[in-house]
Amino acid sequence: MTLLNRIACLLWICAAGLMATNASAQDDPIGYVKTHAGAAFVVSAGQSLEAVPGLALRQGDVLRTGDDGRLGLTLLDNTVMSIGPNAEMVIDEYLFEPGKEQLGLGVSLLRGTMQFISGVIAKLRPEAVKVKTSTGTIGVRGTRFLVNAGN
Amino acid sequence: MRSASFLRIARLVLPAVVLSACAPKSWVVLMPNEDGSTGRIIVTGETGQAEVAEAGVAASLDSPTPETFKVTPYRIEQTFGGALEAEPMAPAVFTLYFEVGGARLTAESEALLPAVLAEAASRDAADISIVGHTDTTGDPADNQALGLLRASFVRDALLAAGLRLDRISTESHGEGNLLVATPDDTPEAYNRRVEVVVR
Repeated sequence: MTLLNRIACLLWICAAGLMATNASAQDDPIGYVKTHAGAAFVVSAGQSLEAVPGLALRQGDVLRTGDDGRLGLTLLDNTVMSIGPNAEMVIDEYLFEPGKEQLGLGVSLLRGTMQFISGVIAKLRPEAVKVKTSTGTIGVRGTRFLVNAGN
Repeated sequence: MRSASFLRIARLVLPAVVLSACAPKSWVVLMPNEDGSTGRIIVTGETGQAEVAEAGVAASLDSPTPETFKVTPYRIEQTFGGALEAEPMAPAVFTLYFEVGGARLTAESEALLPAVLAEAASRDAADISIVGHTDTTGDPADNQALGLLRASFVRDALLAAGLRLDRISTESHGEGNLLVATPDDTPEAYNRRVEVVVR
């Protein structure tokens, strides 16, 4: 290996290290909006954005739909969720770093209906996944289910 | 007197009606997975728990102890039509393997790259995760770095094959997400892989 090659290799490893740091940064997306219809919004850091496909999602985001609205999303661990009309859902917690044994997914459905299809977090650590309504909690053991949070 | 006797009759004659009048407003129903299997859910209320392991069975979410009941497909469609219609396409997973002792893809895995590109092109606003994995041989921290090395090679191979997409994440799960469960320090070819997920 020539000296130049070695330097290039070192730089490359440094770059890889930086990417690894970035991958765990707070600001990185945890998933994306995939489908929408009617009035569908994501409230992120106090800003309300129209939920168009490709919109990045982050921990703490609130998803809202109106009378004619619906919205579907996927998260990086392959969890798939969708909500129907007049729904409000919060992504309370999202941790997906299996290499560091950091896993967690918490979702609250405040009103309306949702479908939940579990992903890798539920496969690796089922007890780390919780879907809540104002009155009950659903523990997930690798599965698909529908929730109606009627008021 | 009159209302008391009505109540007595109601209790005797109309239990089904009374029950349905008390139907929960908040509930969860278990559905079959795409592959036909069914998982389980554990529903916790203020004072009790219920477990559901059968598709089409629901549990109330607004009673202190959740109660289970059957739900018809018609009621599921009536209640959840919008949420079901908004269901995104299932993520597509491509698993790529490496030649032993290097970061070179096997010929079979190299041949999968065009399929990854085609899958991404077929979706609206696709995003791709490229996740490197290792077996449990050696130090977890080294494996974390090795997984990232493998993922980066696959990303470069996809870019070289013509992938044009902003939403690409490259990361490593090290030895934390095994395909084949093994004890520590076990060589296992199927765990030395990169998973490319197109969503």
